[in-house]
Amino acid sequence: MPGQHDRTVKVVTDFNPHVVVHVAVWEPYARAGTATARSLTDDAATSILGAAAECKALESIIVRSGIEIYGRARGSVTRPTEQVPTNPTSEYGHMVAKIEDTADAIGRRIGVSVGTLRLATVLGPHVPSALGRLLRLPAVPFSALADPPFAVIHQHDAAEAFVSAARVRVNEPLNIVAPGAITALQAIRRGRRVPVPLLGPEWVAARALTYLAGAPLPDHVQEMLHRGRLADNARAIDVIGFAPRSTTSEVIEQLYRWPSVVHTPAAREVA
Amino acid sequence: MPSTAQRLADVITMPARNVGTQAASAATGTVQHLRNWTTNEVDNWGRDDAFVNRVWTLAQLRWSTSVGGTEHVPKRTGALIVVNARRFALAPVFAALAIGAAVDRPVRFVGRPDIAPFGPMMQRLGGLLPVEAELEGALRAGELIVLGAAHTRTNLHTGQIDHQLVGSAVAAKVRVLPAAAMSVPVGRNARVEIGGPIRLRHKRRGPLEELETADHLQAHINAVLDELGGTMTGTPIDWLPNSWVGRI
Repeated sequence: MPGQHDRTVKVVTDFNPHVVVHVAVWEPYARAGTATARSLTDDAATSILGAAAECKALESIIVRSGIEIYGRARGSVTRPTEQVPTNPTSEYGHMVAKIEDTADAIGRRIGVSVGTLRLATVLGPHVPSALGRLLRLPAVPFSALADPPFAVIHQHDAAEAFVSAARVRVNEPLNIVAPGAITALQAIRRGRRVPVPLLGPEWVAARALTYLAGAPLPDHVQEMLHRGRLADNARAIDVIGFAPRSTTSEVIEQLYRWPSVVHTPAAREVA
Repeated sequence: MPSTAQRLADVITMPARNVGTQAASAATGTVQHLRNWTTNEVDNWGRDDAFVNRVWTLAQLRWSTSVGGTEHVPKRTGALIVVNARRFALAPVFAALAIGAAVDRPVRFVGRPDIAPFGPMMQRLGGLLPVEAELEGALRAGELIVLGAAHTRTNLHTGQIDHQLVGSAVAAKVRVLPAAAMSVPVGRNARVEIGGPIRLRHKRRGPLEELETADHLQAHINAVLDELGGTMTGTPIDWLPNSWVGRI
């Protein structure tokens, strides 16, 4: 964290790991606003990966990235493999591209392998997610003209992918995506929410309203609702032998079953 | 003790009530249908099987289609099926639907636009973008894909075949099959005839392989179109040379 590089370096170098798994990535509007998320992600990448580079035993770095790195420009591949050139078109896409660049540079400099796991949107009861929050609103906006498909990944599957990648010392980018896909309207219908079809200009108002409702809509989620977001996960199965347990539809169904935040009052007032 | 009028009311259904019940039932049915339509599943590529089935059912009201040569289509692995395309006939879409129904496997087609609302709608039908990386990924994933040749005015011959798109099948190491599609604007009958896989006499290591494969495909489709002799309307208009409706 800012001003705590020395402490981070000490903790990491004292442990002297063989493998560093770097998951300190802040998705915009998941835990923090876009600017704060960008700053925290950059700082964490610099200090943690920089500290890892000081470890003599280090053999491999595994970095969390996202399929937002492929971007959704017009004419871009619907379901990109890892070989498709990256072309981020959202703030989050640029953030994860920067992390990959940083990790690759460090890996080349100190001569260790760097594996990158490009995750689809991670959903789970313990993972703050802008998409998850949006889909759980009572009324959810979607693009009436497009309603394209997207894929997600369950938090447990994402965690297992990191363990498998660390075990294999993977040294290439891999897409980690649950099989199947779902459109926003289908997800809304499964959750028995009210679908709000939008055509274009109303999205400005929708963004403001979802912000007020406690589910801000970052640009990468809006892009996903307009252009879809899929990725080919075949390579991950071949390289690390990892196949997600939950399909995209199952993750979305679970999303609506997870309980809301329960505010428990303090048992005893201390101040 | 109920009165006579009350007993009569219990057994007689007034027409207004009957109409109301039927209207309510129809409305409930429509809502249920809409609900089913919006809760369908899409596959890894955004193809909606239920939507495809509905479109195919509607298409059968217009066309009576027969498909030949399905024994050449692999049962599980991917294959690229290249078909001739008459202008405005939507031959790749029609061929993909017909072959899919014949082989009972999802069949995709190349050539959806990347602009709403047509692009996403065609994606639900199994449309892919005409991008090599997109085709290669789908073929490696074991999908059947129909690629249309360049449009022509008639069904007498096929147009140019994009060798770069054919190259994605070469890169994915899957079968490339020629197919001839015949239909007329005024008739009901339509046919899709699939040929055997293209095999080059000389194995090429470089880009000549896709160029020669595309040339072989074109020649093969032209030969099948010649054999089929064009589609006839069954009217004296077929006797007219180069008529716009006969032999198209």
